[in-house]
Amino acid sequence: MYDLSSVLDFDALRDVRPGSNILLSGPAMSGKERLAYDILADGARNGDGAVVVSTSDGAATIVSDFRELVPEVEESQLGVVDCRGEGGSDNGSVDGAYVHQVSSPGDLTGIGIGITKALEGLHNSGREQGRLALVSLSTMLTYTDKKTVFKFCHVLSSRLDSAGYIGVFTIDSGAHDEQTLQVIKQAFDGLIEIRDAEGGGREGRVLGLAGEPTPWQDI
Amino acid sequence: MSDSDPPVVLIVEDEPDVAETYKLWLQEEYEVRMAQNGDEGLEMLNESVDVVLLDRMMPGLSGDEVLEQIREGDLSCRVAMVTAVEPDFDILEMGFDAYLSKPIRSAQLHETVENLLERSEYDSLLQEYYSLVEKQATLEATKSSAELAESDDYVELTDEIAAMKEDLSGALGGIEDDDDFIATLRGLDQGDEN
Repeated sequence: MYDLSSVLDFDALRDVRPGSNILLSGPAMSGKERLAYDILADGARNGDGAVVVSTSDGAATIVSDFRELVPEVEESQLGVVDCRGEGGSDNGSVDGAYVHQVSSPGDLTGIGIGITKALEGLHNSGREQGRLALVSLSTMLTYTDKKTVFKFCHVLSSRLDSAGYIGVFTIDSGAHDEQTLQVIKQAFDGLIEIRDAEGGGREGRVLGLAGEPTPWQDI
Repeated sequence: MSDSDPPVVLIVEDEPDVAETYKLWLQEEYEVRMAQNGDEGLEMLNESVDVVLLDRMMPGLSGDEVLEQIREGDLSCRVAMVTAVEPDFDILEMGFDAYLSKPIRSAQLHETVENLLERSEYDSLLQEYYSLVEKQATLEATKSSAELAESDDYVELTDEIAAMKEDLSGALGGIEDDDDFIATLRGLDQGDEN
């Protein structure tokens, strides 16, 4: 089981089953990405493997940011799939992390190969548990349609399930129509929803992971 | 592929003895067609073919070139490449769905063809599952939760989705290995963009 409650204090996040796929939904600038990275970092501090699939930041940035969050991160504990399509030839290793460049956020086969190689690298170095963050589905949705993204999430979730990993995927709730959000949500086991609170600050709630949806609380 | 017709396997192989052996092994369960070289193989390919067994080393058009043309076309068939050498990890990037190293045994050939057909089934189940999810999403986006709770159609749909989710993860065993994972994603990449 994965305990995510030290990152986000909800009882529903205390025992997350391996293989669970969680959607992190919130408006722009609500800290979703940071939360996804914090979930990965928290695991890495306990020896879990970490895989970042990014459509916005380059591999070198991700690796150095991650080192700031987890200074003790070991070589071969981190895999990065850089889908910006700008990377070019620096496949292989950046500062001890497994790095894979993918031609575009819409290249699902390329992303899959990158994830496969990252998982294999982590597995070979003895990481039996791990967490994957994909940031963000919103970018993927601008490169391909919601049907394809839905299926991608389903297939990836099945792969993560067999690896015993958990997956955290971010989506910008303000960037898509209600119908698209409803479709994408169905590909996930659980949902962490974030919104701006009325008096400032942020609130969150958890749906689908354990029993009834939790009430909104400050995060 | 309808329920009554057996799946169609196309063997593209330049050695008649080898091709004949594969045919003997497979013909009880499948409709087997044979092509003696790459050009003939491409000619015989159409929507009715479910699985292609493609020899990699052939005079004339090589297996790699045939594969490339299959992938550029709109065909939904699965391709198992038959090679004389054990390929390494990079084969994942090459666009075929399975590989077999020569010499091949009967059980191994059966298993490969079965896996490829199963994967096609996973794809069509996933397709069906998506269309139900899309319907549900449309209802949820347009009706209030009180209206949804009173709708028998909605309740039925929700049950159907739950059952199908079970089918997807249960019956086919999900996506267990890297080959399956990549091949399924490749199917999505090439799939319809509706």
